[in-house]
Amino acid sequence: MDSKGSACSNPNPNPTFGPSKLMLAFRFLRALSIVHRTTPASSPTCRGRRIERAAYASMAYSAGTSRAWSRAVLRRLHHRARRRAVAPRRLSTTAGNRAEALRRLVPGGAGMDYCTLLEETADYTKCLSMQVELMQGIVDSASSNGR
Amino acid sequence: MEPGGSSGVGSVNSGTYTPEIAESLRFEEEIQSLIDPSFDASSAAGGSFTALLGLPANQAVELLHHPGPGEPPASAASSSPIAGDLWRLRLVEQHAVTDTLRLPFGCSSTFPSDAALVERAARFSVFATDDSPASSSGGGLSPELKAEPPDSHSPPTLPVPAEKPRRPSKRKECEKSKAKAVAKKSKSAEENTSAAKPAAEENTSGDKLPYVHVRARRGQATDSHSLAERARREKINARMKLLQELVPGCSKITGTALVLDEIINHVQSLQRQVEFLSMKLAAVNPRIDFSGLDHILSAECGPLAMGSGCGGGASDPATWASETAASTGGIRRMPPPQQIWHLDLVHPQQSSTVWENNGAAHPHFLLSPATSLVGYDPASSVPLNSNQLKTEL
Repeated sequence: MDSKGSACSNPNPNPTFGPSKLMLAFRFLRALSIVHRTTPASSPTCRGRRIERAAYASMAYSAGTSRAWSRAVLRRLHHRARRRAVAPRRLSTTAGNRAEALRRLVPGGAGMDYCTLLEETADYTKCLSMQVELMQGIVDSASSNGR
Repeated sequence: MEPGGSSGVGSVNSGTYTPEIAESLRFEEEIQSLIDPSFDASSAAGGSFTALLGLPANQAVELLHHPGPGEPPASAASSSPIAGDLWRLRLVEQHAVTDTLRLPFGCSSTFPSDAALVERAARFSVFATDDSPASSSGGGLSPELKAEPPDSHSPPTLPVPAEKPRRPSKRKECEKSKAKAVAKKSKSAEENTSAAKPAAEENTSGDKLPYVHVRARRGQATDSHSLAERARREKINARMKLLQELVPGCSKITGTALVLDEIINHVQSLQRQVEFLSMKLAAVNPRIDFSGLDHILSAECGPLAMGSGCGGGASDPATWASETAASTGGIRRMPPPQQIWHLDLVHPQQSSTVWENNGAAHPHFLLSPATSLVGYDPASSVPLNSNQLKTEL
């Protein structure tokens, strides 16, 4: 694996925005392939959930640990992995206070002050939209190639 | 004389506060007429409390300094609750008929020539709302103040007490321009405690986040509380603007509440999209080979990223991509993509050998536990991140 070590001297290839689309793509695609290999074909929902978790994990890793939301996501993933619990669906009900609704949506938002919450929301939204674009691209290319 | 001083006070509670100098003049005239029956209201037109003081200076002093008429202290009222003063002024009016204005003034305040008290008295000149001359001007002014949204107190960090000392100096500017919600909020919050609190005090934004872009005004924010408050507010506003730019279609929405709603909807929709797409990906086993990867990445990043990033990350996708290609049976498709990577690889001649070597390394590399799917990132082009990843795991 020394070739990998020697080749990885390149910092962020896209200096224009913080989280790297390329690294996100690599991580996610790798995770996707792993999931497809490891989960049996009989449980597509289970695989779907794993893929979703893989998506969030690759997002969080790409964002780095400097972000509170990425730390919260990774914490949640690792805890869930240990306890093997099903991820609860976090539906944001229309709260009277919008800040509370936002806190429920953004991971790790409960323990933040409002100012940090807005900042984290911005970063989280950016990463989420990149992830969605990536997944959409994969689906499109997969559907166009496979059919 | 007054048709019920208490009813006047009651009307104060229902009215709005009118910090207009004209109001204060009317109030002064009224008081003056009470105090001095021979006082001609028209003559005091255009005057201020100084005029009031000028005329019956001795009388005013005597009236208000019940125990001992000394020289009028000029700065008494700012600390004492002004409501107490004007309650007693009300009593003054009531007693004017019966008594010689023997005023049970606990505080040693008088009508100082300070403009602060002028404004404060003007604020409470809604006492005179049941008088037609006063109410006309009061009615003219109250709509513009009623237009201000009420202070909802939902931002708990609004330092009401801290803004008290700033109020008098700001009042005159407030009277001139209307959009000073902060000062008025603080005043209303202060008046909440006083009897003369006008009930309908609105915020300009009219929602849960009453942050208005308040320019720094003269004589404002000498204390650290309000400075920190303003800094925090501007930070929050800057971040809201950032969010507005991020979320599509948000820049034309005015009002923080709607913007926040839009942001919440956008985040929710993104999360739902992730879930939906992951289900779709689970159903469709994407035959990802390098041609597919190329297509995806070029659609997103553009050729520049490919050129610069592939040198760093090439070996990583090379390993697992070959794995996926093998699993999907598309091994024959490897050589053409290999050439693409060859253009970018730093050591092209090693690539084939690299892949052979890594073919053996595949099992333990890719058989990372399913729990930490992306835990091991050997070719992470950001070494710092990889260290962080290890600590994370």
